[in-house]
Amino acid sequence: MIYDLFNEAIKNLSRSGIKTYLTLLGIIIGIAAIVSLVSIGSGLGMAVEQQLDQLGGKTIFVIPGGFQNIRIKLNETDISNFESIRNVESVVPVYSTSAILEFNGEKINVSVNATDSGDKTLFENTGFFNVKEGRDFTRNESGSILLGSEIAENYFEKKIEIKKLVKINGKDFRVIGILKPLPQSFGGGPDPGNTVLMSLDAFKRISTNLNPTIIFINATDKESVPQVVDDIKDYSDKKYGDKSVNVLSSDNLLETINSLLDMITMFILSLAGISLIVGGIGIMNAMITSVLERTKEIGTLKALGASNNKILTLILIESALIGLIGGIIGILLGFGLAEVIAIIGTQSGFALIAVKSYEIIFGALAFSMIIGMVSGFYPASRAANLDPVEALRYE
Amino acid sequence: MKNEMIRLENVSKIYTLGEIQVKALDNINLSICEQDYVSIMGPSGSGKTTLLDVMSTMMKPTFGKIFIEKKETTKMSNTELASFRGQKIGFIFQTFNLLPKLSALENVMVPMWVNNTTRSERITNAKNILESVGLGDKLQNRPNQMSGGQKQRVAIARALALNPNIIVADEPTGNLDSKSGKIVMDILNDLNKKDGKTLIIVTHDQSIGEKAKRKIVIKDGQILNGNTKVCQL
Repeated sequence: MIYDLFNEAIKNLSRSGIKTYLTLLGIIIGIAAIVSLVSIGSGLGMAVEQQLDQLGGKTIFVIPGGFQNIRIKLNETDISNFESIRNVESVVPVYSTSAILEFNGEKINVSVNATDSGDKTLFENTGFFNVKEGRDFTRNESGSILLGSEIAENYFEKKIEIKKLVKINGKDFRVIGILKPLPQSFGGGPDPGNTVLMSLDAFKRISTNLNPTIIFINATDKESVPQVVDDIKDYSDKKYGDKSVNVLSSDNLLETINSLLDMITMFILSLAGISLIVGGIGIMNAMITSVLERTKEIGTLKALGASNNKILTLILIESALIGLIGGIIGILLGFGLAEVIAIIGTQSGFALIAVKSYEIIFGALAFSMIIGMVSGFYPASRAANLDPVEALRYE
Repeated sequence: MKNEMIRLENVSKIYTLGEIQVKALDNINLSICEQDYVSIMGPSGSGKTTLLDVMSTMMKPTFGKIFIEKKETTKMSNTELASFRGQKIGFIFQTFNLLPKLSALENVMVPMWVNNTTRSERITNAKNILESVGLGDKLQNRPNQMSGGQKQRVAIARALALNPNIIVADEPTGNLDSKSGKIVMDILNDLNKKDGKTLIIVTHDQSIGEKAKRKIVIKDGQILNGNTKVCQL
């Protein structure tokens, strides 16, 4: 019987022509918008999570607060104090400055990052830096640099090849390797595609600023991360004042990024939600018109023995079907759209993934069907409660 | 004496139009036996269509009781009534009331669809009935591809879909030319004579009214004559 009702509902819809297609369009647009947003949104979340996963969850970032000259200056004492905190495995300070890179007579401002080469393995383990071509530097190499692929390939008229000599702040350096760009940079991490990386010894040749801009601290294990974070906070709050130094674990970072992502997603979803409400009103309007047009038919059906329930179900199935069909097309369109956004995003340097999960599919299908049924309920009950004699006389 | 098919006991129907109350049916008592052929006649506004609507369970009376095949329909819920009506009574309307977007075959299948008959059974039955009213070659035609007479024959076929005992027809030839009207009336007469259906026709047409076995004349909501028949209870 349900099959029959479905069959009949599909026939009625396919006979109703342009009105149904326009109504469908409303739902399709709403669902496509929501699906593409959720798909890209969860892709973004996943990408961030994956990157932070590379850090192993044991890494804590210590970032001095303030700007440029008034930035809090952490020093050697702080670093050795961090090292002595319980459950700290290693402390890797990263030094940064901006400098002038000169090649073939062209000069360009670049950011330089440096770390003690002894600690570099750990620094690399954080996943920020990967050598794409050439080789990595070893301890005491004060004349070698690794160049971000962006800088090497795009900044200068001529591509900078490995083994070329460049000048940084007037000092000679040899390019020994090219750094692979990360799909995206996040929270405090330098962008390896756009940076010059060198050893601390090399850094000392071009800058006197030996206060780290970020310190990577590795805890011995994941479980002790909160304790280490608390101890660092206690130490720095006491020494430099409350919250003058930001201490973030990768979980904190993930939370911050995710809550930001959630906020953005919620905002856009509520916009898309409005379009779905409009779509729902469209269904209601179409079904009311359809019921009005078919008043006489409904009267006939009642004369032929159709119960109120049967008519209610028929109209409800019709409107649920509009929702469902709109949902199916909307999902396909939404995934397509997400895929296009992901491709465009990836090309412009963001690792966007279009996630296509069953949760999204079933969620969107259920959502679109419910919208169809809710919107169809009023017209359906109106049809069901028509008086058969009056309905038959309706012109 | 034939068994009783329909009985109306003290049935009144009152319409309220604003502050005015109109008594469309005034305390009607009527008994219709099985295999009866009844015509209901009367001037416009006399209440003949209301009588048919009330008798065929399409409308509930304001007062009084109605029994069909000894079951009191005035006590039934809307849902019970709908299914009871579908199975016991076949309807034929002046304006045919075919579903415009369905073919002749599909239109005849509708009552069986309502009654949850299987699809294959629906198709076979509908074909057979349409053939019996001479429309075996019009199965796939839509109403707008048929003449008035053909449409009314589809409507008759639809009324017969669930093989009901009672056929009610409201001005069945009202929209037809005399030739088509005669074909339709011949089919209806046969349904009564050969198949033993109880046939109730509301008509203006004197010649049709006269052919009925029993003629009921109604005026101002009251039956003027033909109300003496008694069936076996």
